Amino acid sequence: MPPTSTRRENPSSDILPLFEFSNVVNSSLDLKFILGTVLLTVMGKMLVSKGMVLLKRERGSFEIVNAKGLDPQLIGQPVSIDKPMRTITAVDRIAPDGREWVGFFKSHEQKLLIPIVTQRHVAGFLTLGGRFAGRAFSRTDKQLINSLVNLSGSAIEKALMIDRLKEANRNLDRKFQELNTLFDLSKEFNVVLDADKVIRLLTFSLLGQIGVNRYAICLNEHGSLKIVASRLDAPMGSLDVLRQICFLKTAELTEDLAKQKKFRQTAEELRKLRIEVVIPMQIQNQVKGAILLGERLRGGSYNAGDLEFLYSLANLAIISVENARLFHETLEKQRMEDELAIAREIQQGLLPRTLPQIHRFDIAASNIPSKQVGGDYYDVVTISPNEYVFVIGDVSGKGTGAALLMANVQASLRAFAPMGLSLSEATSRINNLTCANTGQGKFITFFWGSLNLETRSFRYVNAGHNPPFLLRADGGVERLEIGGIILGLMQTVSPYPEGAVTLESGDLIVMFTDGVSEAMNARNEDFTEERLEQLLKQIRTLPAKQIISKIQEALDVYTRGTPQSDDITMLVLRAL
Amino acid sequence: MSEFKVQHRDGEGVSVIDLRGYLDAHTAPDLENAFQKLLNEKKFNIVVNCKDLSYISSAGLGVFMAFIEDVRKNQGDIKLTNMSPKVYNVFDLLGFPILYEIYKDELEAVKKFGERR
Repeated sequence: MPPTSTRRENPSSDILPLFEFSNVVNSSLDLKFILGTVLLTVMGKMLVSKGMVLLKRERGSFEIVNAKGLDPQLIGQPVSIDKPMRTITAVDRIAPDGREWVGFFKSHEQKLLIPIVTQRHVAGFLTLGGRFAGRAFSRTDKQLINSLVNLSGSAIEKALMIDRLKEANRNLDRKFQELNTLFDLSKEFNVVLDADKVIRLLTFSLLGQIGVNRYAICLNEHGSLKIVASRLDAPMGSLDVLRQICFLKTAELTEDLAKQKKFRQTAEELRKLRIEVVIPMQIQNQVKGAILLGERLRGGSYNAGDLEFLYSLANLAIISVENARLFHETLEKQRMEDELAIAREIQQGLLPRTLPQIHRFDIAASNIPSKQVGGDYYDVVTISPNEYVFVIGDVSGKGTGAALLMANVQASLRAFAPMGLSLSEATSRINNLTCANTGQGKFITFFWGSLNLETRSFRYVNAGHNPPFLLRADGGVERLEIGGIILGLMQTVSPYPEGAVTLESGDLIVMFTDGVSEAMNARNEDFTEERLEQLLKQIRTLPAKQIISKIQEALDVYTRGTPQSDDITMLVLRAL
Repeated sequence: MSEFKVQHRDGEGVSVIDLRGYLDAHTAPDLENAFQKLLNEKKFNIVVNCKDLSYISSAGLGVFMAFIEDVRKNQGDIKLTNMSPKVYNVFDLLGFPILYEIYKDELEAVKKFGERR
């Protein structure tokens, strides 16, 4: 209320301006304006040329918010005043013991300290320098000053409240903005299945939200962190840093890391790169990546709220990166399976669907492809009613490449076989063609033999293939091993020698691939040719088809509990 | 939702990018491409007119951050103009007015580039 209780020598001259002043300050919500008006009014009335306004920021600490007639740099400076006085006090009267602020005011020629009291709390101070011409402040002067300051008290309080609301509002806006960012990204991450793009969007959001220009984003690749996107002044000196980051549980400031003994070295490295904060990206407590950020260009350090936001953002991003990775893995697996299916189709297409009926001979064959599709091949080609060619081979490697190479060999052998060339000559040509058609490290073990029904002779060439067994009717065992080096290794220099045997009634030839002899049991031991030979001796009198099924049974028993790692192929010929 | 569009005009040694619609994580790569194209053509005096920009997310702001250093290293600048209060509020919240020159009007920004030369 207007100071009707204050006695004045000449009240009428003071009250009118007081009303006007009260109207002005109370109609404003602008703290700066109110404080400026109060300070200037008091200085004008008292003929003072220096003055300031201080507002309480926290317990015992005040901030200079206005200064007239003094260095403008004082504005913003903190002054700690413990146990602030509640009445007008002359600075000279305050005992300076231990109170630094007394000296501060004195050094700026401030003589009078007027508390701004709102709701019984000291919300701030107005300070005044000496009066013009050295006049002292009379009791009446002090009362007038008090009136002016008290009149503006409620206006200041209102304005302070408004400022606090504005600040709260802004903080809410900022939180809302952070949530928007998370929402924006999660929406986008859901439709992006490309890890590189996820990382780019994450980078943009970090740069925009945090306002940094130095950063690195690392992802776990094959067990260690690798930088996938960065803008750093220098390359990271030591990989130890990335290794250490894997042990972080939460987002950490570099300065806090420096205080922990085991991270001191890491923190030093990070400090050199001007990295201020490290945020691990985790899935189920496993560090799958990390975000490293430098200083904020608009100033200010990272607070707890920032770290919380970054942690959420990091985890959102890593889940998307992981999803993208899994998606591509599935895709890749699918692609490989498709390729294998094609390889299997090619390979199976090369094998004869039916075997010819050969007078006074009993033949049978089988091929069981492994999961990865090896390069086994067998064939029985009819040259004339009197002549048949038997082929078995194994291309190195697996999959489509092996299948295509086998297709090549089949095409050339089927072209050469009816041309009347000797087996030796045909083998040389097939070898030369294979050499020309294959890259390094691709070769074929190959055996073929030509059966003449009239002479019952079986001429053959073995190019590095497991020698077939010839079990004679009288119990003898021979191996068909005459020949030369495997196909595809080098151009033919010397002709492949031919072997020849005559088949008597009861003789048995068993051709096989290493899928038989190298079939492995659970202890990683091969079935071996010796074991095959022993078995053949026992079953030698059975029909061709049953010989194959007996061998297959023996292999099944031997390899129980282990997956089939190679194609298993057999071709059996018995003279009746 | 209005569709995002980046349009680019050239004139008097200053390139102007017109932004339209929503600039968020989904559309940020479009702006990225626009900036990259200008940089490839060695055009470093860039004004971004935000007159028809209805929303910007932090991913959108990040694109500005990603290019500003390279642009300024080449004696250029990215100046922003014609922002709606809603869009300005986001820039302001994230402290961008300290880092970028923001003008009410495109001509003002173009003129600023002229003054320097």
